[in-house]
Amino acid sequence: MLSFIGRSIVHKIITLFFVSIVSFLIIHLAPGEPSQVDPLNPKFTPEMVERFREAFHLDEPLHVQYLYFYRDLFTGKTISWKDNLPVLKKIWERFLNSLPLFIVGTILTWTISFPVGIRSALFRGGFYDRSSTFFAYLLISIPGFFFAYILIIFVVNQFQVPVIGMETFGIGDTAWSIRVMDRIWHLLLPSFLGATGGIAVLSRYVRSQMLEVEGQDYVRTAKAKGLSPDQVHYKHALRNALLPFVTMFGLILPGLIGGSVIIESIFAWPGMGRMAYEAILARDYPVILTLNFVSAVLVLIGTFISDLLYLVVDPRIRL
Amino acid sequence: MTTKRILIFAPLLLTLILLQSYFWVPTYEQQAKGNPERLNQYINASIGDAAILIPILSADSASSEIEGKVFEGLIDRDADLNFRGRLAKTWNIYEEAYFYINAAADIPNLGRLDPQAIVELLQNYKQKANLSPAALKQTLDNIRSISLIPPHTYTVTRSNKTSPTGKKTSEIKVSVSAPARFKLALDEVDQDLFTNLKHLLGDRYFSSFRGQQFLTTQPPIDKELLSFYARELLPAIEHNPVIVFNLRENVKFHDGHIFDAHDVKFTYDAIIDPKNLSPRIADYEPVKEVEVIDPLSVRIVYKRLYSPAIGTWGMGILPEHLLNSQALKAEALKLGQDPADFTMRQSAFKRHPIGCGPFVFREWKSDRFITLDRFDDYWEGPPHYKKYLFRVLPDLLTQEMEFYAGTIDSYGVQPHQVNRLKADPRFQSFSGPSFGYTYIGYNMRRKPFDDRRVRQALSMAIDVNKIIKFLLYNQGERITGPFVKQTDFYNPNIKPVPYDPEGALKLLAEAGWQRNAEGWLERNGQRLQFKLITNNGNDIRKAILAIAQDSWKQIGIDVRTDLLEWSVFIQERVNKMDFDALVLGWSMGIDPDLYQIWHSSQINPNQLNFVSFKNKEADDLIVKIRQEYNHDRQVQYCHRLHQIIADEQPYTFLYVSKWTAILDKRIVIREVDDTAEIVYKKITPTQTGNYTFYFNKWIKLAEMPELTP
Repeated sequence: MLSFIGRSIVHKIITLFFVSIVSFLIIHLAPGEPSQVDPLNPKFTPEMVERFREAFHLDEPLHVQYLYFYRDLFTGKTISWKDNLPVLKKIWERFLNSLPLFIVGTILTWTISFPVGIRSALFRGGFYDRSSTFFAYLLISIPGFFFAYILIIFVVNQFQVPVIGMETFGIGDTAWSIRVMDRIWHLLLPSFLGATGGIAVLSRYVRSQMLEVEGQDYVRTAKAKGLSPDQVHYKHALRNALLPFVTMFGLILPGLIGGSVIIESIFAWPGMGRMAYEAILARDYPVILTLNFVSAVLVLIGTFISDLLYLVVDPRIRL
Repeated sequence: MTTKRILIFAPLLLTLILLQSYFWVPTYEQQAKGNPERLNQYINASIGDAAILIPILSADSASSEIEGKVFEGLIDRDADLNFRGRLAKTWNIYEEAYFYINAAADIPNLGRLDPQAIVELLQNYKQKANLSPAALKQTLDNIRSISLIPPHTYTVTRSNKTSPTGKKTSEIKVSVSAPARFKLALDEVDQDLFTNLKHLLGDRYFSSFRGQQFLTTQPPIDKELLSFYARELLPAIEHNPVIVFNLRENVKFHDGHIFDAHDVKFTYDAIIDPKNLSPRIADYEPVKEVEVIDPLSVRIVYKRLYSPAIGTWGMGILPEHLLNSQALKAEALKLGQDPADFTMRQSAFKRHPIGCGPFVFREWKSDRFITLDRFDDYWEGPPHYKKYLFRVLPDLLTQEMEFYAGTIDSYGVQPHQVNRLKADPRFQSFSGPSFGYTYIGYNMRRKPFDDRRVRQALSMAIDVNKIIKFLLYNQGERITGPFVKQTDFYNPNIKPVPYDPEGALKLLAEAGWQRNAEGWLERNGQRLQFKLITNNGNDIRKAILAIAQDSWKQIGIDVRTDLLEWSVFIQERVNKMDFDALVLGWSMGIDPDLYQIWHSSQINPNQLNFVSFKNKEADDLIVKIRQEYNHDRQVQYCHRLHQIIADEQPYTFLYVSKWTAILDKRIVIREVDDTAEIVYKKITPTQTGNYTFYFNKWIKLAEMPELTP
């Protein structure tokens, strides 16, 4: 057990090292330059571009730039080229903004998908199963931005309430209860939109897992023993169907940092996804690379956690 | 079964909690009408957030919008685009010109003269009533005084790059024994001064001056470098335009500190300080020195003639007392950082600016909003709005929805919506041509674009009016040349190239291109064939690509097209000049300086004259325009330059697009008339289409008032 954990950590550190090299290379070898060295602005003389390149260490060979960047990252001194703010602080702020969206979205996805999927599996081929299949595919195939526009226009026209941003703009000094509820309301649409894709996919997955398990011999045995249907489905079948989801649970973690570019842009939500997108457009390398590094770390931690969870829930792996 | 119950009730409960929050949220109705304070706020929306709120450091439009409200420059442009004083009450532009005595040159008819004799010569001619040519008379009349600077010696140290990478440098001591020099003080800047003085002093008096003989170096250096230093240290002639600004008294910064000339000098010093990495440094490079004469006047001397320099004093003035080296040092120490690396870019000021503009900075939440309060001590009287709010809404549809809901006050209409929204009785609309144009540029290094007839024919084959009508929903205007259409630099007498495919074929036939049996144009067995490219992600340019391809195909030209990702397009194609023809746009400032885009010295890789336009007369005019300080003469040169460029057609000038903005009708201008009564007027745009020009007088009313015309 301990040796497994140790080996796993060493593997992951090696992977992280290669990820850091590859992501650094991809970003630096991609065409385009930071917007500060924009060549199409007539006001920029070559000397100025040179000075910016020097300040950003862009005139050094790539491996030196690599060392500079990771030295700054580990000493916490990386600053964004766009506004000279410390990158880690910037990311932390945006992370806190994206976090509620992520949490509510994830809870919605996981709590709704299970009952929907299980019921479809139990009444396979019935009206409920067919219509939930239909809606699942509908949700998967509608482009997110389109669905978002339809929802915004519908809600704004129908209910005349604001849905844009993290809170009602200019709500000012009202009672805290109203402010909290206002925040929850503003969470509702974007997190629901963020969850739709997840619900559609996950409920399909739950359904097929349940169907597979329901066909197993031990379920038939349980039925034959004369257990009540609820006991058969929820105790014997569901528990075994849950196994693959444990792995998925660990992999949600990287989603924390990804955020959603489209949803955050449409809803003017000051989150991670938007920041990453704008950083890429402006070729703000410190922000892009730091985000890249942090998400690589989160992916590795996520896989590590799911490995551990597997160890815990599935005795066969421990052997 | 508990599991079953949990599975069913958990999502239900969660959904209920989320949905009930609806009942707590104020509706738009309550927000817009229930809150009387809302009428005192102006809310603006932008797609992007500001980056850094220090005018000398920012280069993005969101930051400059906020800076425009918080900071104030010495001058700005009035409704007719002329300069008007802001922090400067008045200003005065004159010139000091210098030339060295050229002992080796003969004065026509007089032989060699000593310096004093030349001064007398000039003064004598100044007295004469009728002189020819007339230009010489004008030049001499313009000279206020002539003085003589005696010879003197001094030593300077220069560092010289010894390796090509520029990493190694060696120090060179240059001893200068400067000969006597004449100083001419002029009433007005005169770029023809020395050209005209040649009539008196001889054609070669200035050009035959050799500065090298007055220099000695330690260690000795080669001739080329020596003549480089000679040109720098002992230029035969020198124009030094001077601007003296008289500043407004008792103007306060938002923290109560009184603004004075030291703040102006500080702002200049901060821009040229290499530590600050200011993107504006090129604008101020021609400045020789900024000198504080007294707290209310400041004198700026330039190294050479450079008329766009006046406009650069619209730069927001920074408060010296908050940003000077002591203040930055104290801040660095407080934060526990190394004062040596701590510049304005690190200081808290960049996110909490203080200026002397009409609005005081209050709060900035990244990617959400910036709030400004009005400044009650603003020198021109405080604005009517109490608050200015700047919201970041990255999505256009969201902006539109928020505008309808009344939570932003203006909306930039997209072309396809213009007709519908202009007719809407709830709104007032403004529109005008933007400061920029879209064009097809031809690479004149390549055949067949080196032939003017071919370029003209290509322009004639495209029906630009149709592009404007169908692609831009009529939200565009024809443009014929490189100047901003609303300014008087633009020559309105030049007619756009007509749509005339027959005429195009005739021109191409003159150039030797004939249609073959299949209908393709051919010369010497070679088909007229090229590739038209543009960047990906701009739908209008993409459509122009297709339209141009089709129009040219109809007269038998075989055109291929290609779309490239922006940075590939710029770095691999435009900068390396590896293209036949491209669709692109320029956005422009008001100043008519075209040096970077049209001068023949700018045709190298990574420079902006990537079509390689070369024209001797155009070059002269471009240089004259940037050296001319007289508006009328500048206009005259610009009109001629415009004509040359339109005749040469290095670009097919397509159109300048029109913007449209809508505002709530209840936003009006409030003024006090002669009888001390409050009157309300409709917001009218200035001649150039700027409707926010009188922003400080705007106010929003609860009901539509009676408007005074």
